[in-house]
Amino acid sequence: MTTTHSQNEGLAIEVRDLRKSYGEVEAVRGVSFEVGRGEVFCLLGPNGAGKTSIVEILEGYRTRTHGGVRVLGMDPARGERELHERVGIVLQESGVQSDLTVTELVEMYGRYHLRRRPVDEVIELVELGEKRDTRARQLSGGQKRRLDLALALVGDPDLIFLDEPTTGFDPGARRQAWTTIRSLCDLGKTVFLTTHYMDEAQHLANRVAVMNAGQIIAIGRPEELGGRDLRPAEIRFSLPVQWSLGDLPDIPCEQRSLESDRVLVVTREPVVAAQRITSWALDHEVDLGHFSVNQPTLEDIYLELTGDGSRDQAEVHSSEEVTR
Amino acid sequence: MSAIATPLMKRDLGLVGWQIRYEQRAYWRNRGRGVFTFVFPLMFLVIFGALDKHAHISSRGGISYDTFFVPGILAYGVIATTFVNMAISTAILRDQGVLKRMQGTPLPRWAYVAARIGSTLVIVMLMTVITLALGAAAYGVHVRASTLPGLLITLALGTAAFTALGIGITRFIPNAEAAPVVVNLVILPLTFISSIWFPTDGMPTTLIDIAKLFPIRALADGLQYAFDPRTVGAGIKGQDVLILAIWTAVGIFLMIRFLRHPQGEVR
Repeated sequence: MTTTHSQNEGLAIEVRDLRKSYGEVEAVRGVSFEVGRGEVFCLLGPNGAGKTSIVEILEGYRTRTHGGVRVLGMDPARGERELHERVGIVLQESGVQSDLTVTELVEMYGRYHLRRRPVDEVIELVELGEKRDTRARQLSGGQKRRLDLALALVGDPDLIFLDEPTTGFDPGARRQAWTTIRSLCDLGKTVFLTTHYMDEAQHLANRVAVMNAGQIIAIGRPEELGGRDLRPAEIRFSLPVQWSLGDLPDIPCEQRSLESDRVLVVTREPVVAAQRITSWALDHEVDLGHFSVNQPTLEDIYLELTGDGSRDQAEVHSSEEVTR
Repeated sequence: MSAIATPLMKRDLGLVGWQIRYEQRAYWRNRGRGVFTFVFPLMFLVIFGALDKHAHISSRGGISYDTFFVPGILAYGVIATTFVNMAISTAILRDQGVLKRMQGTPLPRWAYVAARIGSTLVIVMLMTVITLALGAAAYGVHVRASTLPGLLITLALGTAAFTALGIGITRFIPNAEAAPVVVNLVILPLTFISSIWFPTDGMPTTLIDIAKLFPIRALADGLQYAFDPRTVGAGIKGQDVLILAIWTAVGIFLMIRFLRHPQGEVR
């Protein structure tokens, strides 16, 4: 194997001040980030934020207007074959030779690579075993997406690009896809993921970059993003009418308020606060309704970062209710 | 000529061979496209043969109609299996994102294009053999040994021109649904003034002059010349060969322009 290309073996992707303009419109406006080997990196943002522009520049499909880009130590704009050998691509939407069967397609795309994984193994990995002799034309949407993944994996790539891999999936299919993507991490692959689903980023990524209007507005581990881990928790419950806020015991909190019968306690010590409230309620035989403790979700942070109530908000939504 | 085949080159040529097999498999499995490009010309061969049994063409020295329409239909068959097939399938592959996907693989673009062309050559050769065999068996129209060079040169140039043009025209086809319309809009009117279905000897000279500029007439006329019992020599008609050569050059130019256009870049 050649070792001449990469300057920095520790990094899978390096992006420095990347810009991309389409005529007058600047879709990517000075973006910089790094992705380490073996990392699952997620670009999160609303439609039109510039995610696909970035990922297609990294894949070598689009040229950049400005900035430095290295993928596995190579410049993707040069379209080197070595890079294609080592990178697997799942495009947002792209067809296959639809008259060929699953097995034929995996075999065909595998032949293009010097290093490849066994056809049956790849088909099993994406759970298309029962469809191996089915023509691509006859696969369902979810099965086609899994075939996309199989075709990206058959060349045993070091780096895999997944551009919105689960858009249009039902919740069950999405969970299944997540399991498959996680198994890629176990294989030591670097995964570059784009999505507009918060929970997808939450479940899969080691690191998330939040994009809005062509720029990265926050970057970090999903649990730390936007200082999420440092934010106070919110405890909510309803209080029977004969009780008032003043009857509650001493609780460590930033703020507490009562609106009609609903109490809100904002606290940095949710465990202690919850314990005080519940033991007080048991001692006094108070029936607390709808008791809940909530840490701000990635979605809350995201909406805060991208500007609550902006045009983009409607396009960004959680694929499932995040329950915790 | 001694070409030095590097191991990489050898591997890529092997890949072209494999890819031709996959392209073939896909072609014959798709009944819709197969009927459109392969069965159509053969159907016309049978229909036209039944219409004008034992007719003669006085404007061409009384040669039998059969010796006119068998090469005419062969010309149409070449156009259907190369130009029509290539333009429609390339537009579909482009719109479905298959070309984009292929661009992201280590298979060199030239190797993929070579395989697509190679697969087309297999189809056009099969079409030629079946048409000529049917022509000989059912209509008694035989390939003449003396004019064989003319027949082969015309077939080769016609195949080259229409294959390249088929890929090149994809740039002017807005989407895959429009492909059959655009292709037939280009081909059908010309076939009627290009001596494909019937001799155009009595047609207004303006129409004939227009037709003479395009490769359809050159292909049909070149093939008909090679089959004409009155033809002496090798059966090579300079004017037809020249027109086909020019259109081959135009086709290659358009083809390269289409292929250079990156599939991912926003149009």
